[in-house]
Amino acid sequence: MSNTSLFERISGMFENVANQGHGSVLFVFFAGIVFGTIIQYVRADKFEKIAGFAMLKDTIVPKMLFLTVGLTSIGLYFMVENGYASYHVKPIILSGLIIGGVLFGASMAIMGKCPGTGPVSIAEGRVDVLVGAIGGVLGALFFTIFFEDLFKPLMGESMGKFTLPSLVPGYETISVLIFGSAVIAVAILIPKKELVDEADICQITGKKLEECEEEAKE
Amino acid sequence: MKRSIPWWLGGILMTMLLLFTFSILGADRPIGASTYIPYLAGLTFNLDPERYTYLKQIEDSGAWEGVFLLGMLIGGFFSSIFITKTFRISLIPTAWVKYKNNSVKSRMLYSFVSGFFMIIGARLAGGCTSGHFMSGMGQIAISAMVFGGVVLVTLIITGQLFYNLKQKDSNE
Repeated sequence: MSNTSLFERISGMFENVANQGHGSVLFVFFAGIVFGTIIQYVRADKFEKIAGFAMLKDTIVPKMLFLTVGLTSIGLYFMVENGYASYHVKPIILSGLIIGGVLFGASMAIMGKCPGTGPVSIAEGRVDVLVGAIGGVLGALFFTIFFEDLFKPLMGESMGKFTLPSLVPGYETISVLIFGSAVIAVAILIPKKELVDEADICQITGKKLEECEEEAKE
Repeated sequence: MKRSIPWWLGGILMTMLLLFTFSILGADRPIGASTYIPYLAGLTFNLDPERYTYLKQIEDSGAWEGVFLLGMLIGGFFSSIFITKTFRISLIPTAWVKYKNNSVKSRMLYSFVSGFFMIIGARLAGGCTSGHFMSGMGQIAISAMVFGGVVLVTLIITGQLFYNLKQKDSNE
């Protein structure tokens, strides 16, 4: 236990961000606001969107995600080439990625949120997601405490930080363009399906919430 | 009537935010959204980073994402009040009632347990939908593609097995 108050630890967080050279505190905070607003405005934070995708009844989230990946891959490549950005690639820790991916995917289908959309949902008043977040903080606590003994060995060694273009020397640009356009094509080709939350519609149109919840139960 | 923007506009706006954050004019780093959770756990339970090596490892990115999280909460709160007008205190999602059950207790329990394992999964893999799927695949990283593939398959298999899809559909 370090001998600091919660207030000191929180101000330490801001101090750290101010000194680490990855944008000012205000920039990071503002980027978070924009992120939250985009997620909210697409309605990607809704249970009906993410669990709905797991049920294959809603495809808004994968369409948006794949479009973002495709556009970003091409845009970022040219920014890096021209010195406006650099890659920050995560290592290939194979068993960590696979075991982690299975746990993550299954939990995401059941909770209907992920760590980026969950907070937006909590801010929208969803108490069940807040309960999930408490579970998440305890999961993170468990992970932190047993990191050395349990989780680090489970993750395995890093096999390096590769990107697709780095594996095809001489064809970097063309491989990025092919990857980017293929992913954008996937985003467009996934059939558009939507699972609507009746409770939202009623709230916007001004009908009583109780009526709508009754309707939804029928 | 729907108060939302289409998926393609969301994708374009998210790309602009990602690229700006990546750029040297922005933060010169990717967007991630799962490292803040162990960081917050360390902050809340007053764990010493000198003793818990994992906290030492994530000190900087955890703090960065902690500030980002504050922005997400504020952004989500104000947009749900002024833009989508969908802010309400609710305990159980409409589609959970429709495709699973109408028990608040069951929803809370599943939410808690899936939250617990979701974060362990994200930290084992070193990222989540934001850090791996969006930022990582945006860099065409092999690690992100492995994670993305496993998550997509597991997500859909779980969705098909966990929810009562056929029974309820035939009633409609």
